[in-house]
Amino acid sequence: MNRREFLITSSAAAGLLALPRFASAAAGKIDLYSGSDANIIDLWNNIIRPAFQKAHPEVALKVTDAGDNNGLRAIADRALAALKTKTDPQADLFEQFDPRLPAGGIDAGLWVKVSSENIEGYDHINPLALDTPYSLPYRGSQVLLAYDTTKLDAKDAPKSWEQLTTWIKANPGQFIYNRPDKGGSGSNFVRRAIHEVNGRDPKKFKVDNYTADYGTEALTPAWKLLNDLAPSLYDKGAYTSGNTQSIQLLAQGVVTMVPVWSDQVLQAIAQGVLPETTGLVQLGDLALCGGFSSITVFSNGANKDAALKLAAFMLTKEMQEAIITQIGGFPAISWDHISDDLRKKYADVIPSTIPTFPSGDWEKAINDGSYRSVAPGISRT
Amino acid sequence: MSADTTLAAPRRHQSISRGSSIGLLLVALPVFLLAWLIVFPIFSAVFGTIFVRGPDGATAFSLASYRFFFTDGYSLGNLWLTLWTTAVCGTLLLAIGFPIALYLRFSQGRLAAYVQGLAIFPMFVPSIILAYALIRTVGPNGTVDLLLNSVGLPKLRTPYLTPWGPVIGLVWDNLPLTVLMLTAGLSSVSNSAVEAARDVGARPLRVFISIILPRMGNSLLVTASFAVLGIFSAFTLPYVLGPASPEMMGPFMQRTFADMNDPLDAMTQAVITFGFCLVFGIFYIRSIARNREARP
Repeated sequence: MNRREFLITSSAAAGLLALPRFASAAAGKIDLYSGSDANIIDLWNNIIRPAFQKAHPEVALKVTDAGDNNGLRAIADRALAALKTKTDPQADLFEQFDPRLPAGGIDAGLWVKVSSENIEGYDHINPLALDTPYSLPYRGSQVLLAYDTTKLDAKDAPKSWEQLTTWIKANPGQFIYNRPDKGGSGSNFVRRAIHEVNGRDPKKFKVDNYTADYGTEALTPAWKLLNDLAPSLYDKGAYTSGNTQSIQLLAQGVVTMVPVWSDQVLQAIAQGVLPETTGLVQLGDLALCGGFSSITVFSNGANKDAALKLAAFMLTKEMQEAIITQIGGFPAISWDHISDDLRKKYADVIPSTIPTFPSGDWEKAINDGSYRSVAPGISRT
Repeated sequence: MSADTTLAAPRRHQSISRGSSIGLLLVALPVFLLAWLIVFPIFSAVFGTIFVRGPDGATAFSLASYRFFFTDGYSLGNLWLTLWTTAVCGTLLLAIGFPIALYLRFSQGRLAAYVQGLAIFPMFVPSIILAYALIRTVGPNGTVDLLLNSVGLPKLRTPYLTPWGPVIGLVWDNLPLTVLMLTAGLSSVSNSAVEAARDVGARPLRVFISIILPRMGNSLLVTASFAVLGIFSAFTLPYVLGPASPEMMGPFMQRTFADMNDPLDAMTQAVITFGFCLVFGIFYIRSIARNREARP
């Protein structure tokens, strides 16, 4: 082979290698994007994808990490633009997304409306999990309080917001939560405080009812409440930079109690990051927020039908039990459809209600408000 | 004789101009990349924050975002913390790096090689790993606490989640570069100058002040500029180890851009950050230029 031939063959080979990238929207290959944490991406790559491809060998599944919700929003914006120009959005479904975004997406027909007509097993879904007909809940998690039972007896664990704040003030330095924009455990603790000062009524907050005035009215008393707690927190008002860092402080025995995601804490206990003596408790007057993660399917995706097959596959007993055993999440289908031994094992954490809090403009107002009004509110020297 | 010189002169001139045109060609690509990827975005950011596109699509001159930054106590607090961290880190880096560099310059042998290896080691540790390692060592109930406790000493207040957390991380992270640059600077101090001073009876301190320091001015300036440029816009260490508020400019800009979805304010913060870094950039370029002029 001379040099010329070598160059021709090697560039052709390089071109062939690059081909699948250009043809990512080829039929039979589902493009899924996720903005979730690494444990969820791992679940999809290591458990769900092999199982799905065994059940449906004719379609392939490609899981792409979009980073965070902002990454997904950019792809959703692109898909909405593609819908208007009738082109391929190069995406078929999102692993977890709020279909109310981008604004006007639902009216334009961006998302597939899911029901028992097009999704097998839809009627098994836990009624608590149903949100809009444009999203298909497939896993749930909730924020709980995790505490060290060697320092706090299970019978003394706080069961209401009032008991919790009394305990925090009586045990200065033993509680910490993370910055609300850096993880859901801290952010839902802040949201619980907002619920507390607004009559414990989650219905008062909707994705589209944020105005600057209503925001000030609803949030200002919550900042006061959190400021009041701050001197009793770890290091007189320090806030960790994420869910993991809070768990780390609990694991090192630095603090006695932190808010945690149910799936993350169960996984941490199972892996030995947290000791067996870790107790979990939920507030009884109004639970800390949580939610179900929902699959959204693009109506203009090239592989819409295959994507719907995948969505239905997530509701099968096999996958729902994998969510419990692999990541310690809640199933989206009712517990009646889960095998008996699993149901008994997790009886303590089966939720009867899961309050939620809308994102959108509220999220911005809460995150920035917390940085400006709560974090610098006290002198820590 | 005169004919020879008139003949030789144009030929030499020609060869210089050909050489310089090849040289210009060689630097054209990097200069073009610099202009495209760095200089243009800077001007576009400055322009974009001064001539703001309104909701109606029209562009109008407005300094509102700068006015907001400089009247907003929270933003100013973040800027102040960044300046404080940079100043403290820069001072600590020179204070720690200079003795190590002096030791490495004037001693030989296996021990010096080990010290050099240790001083360069942090260069190979990614900052996110370093951040978690620091939480486990100087963090609450970390190794330091355990060691103090085992000999019956009281617990220390941990720097984790206070402004001192990022300072410790950043000093560790920037130490290798500081030591390398100071060692390079010290190589311009000749052994014979030091020996001559010693021969006339100068003590080590006198050698340091009269022989070494005057030759180090330039490299101290360069080292300080590099440290400042790196620390001013640091992100990972201030984010993981530092307090929630005030924030350093790096995490603040990222949060404003991504979480607050506010590119205009984020860009304004970036332009202000750039303005501070520019001052140190000018120091660096001036000392490089002075160095080149001084070279024979």
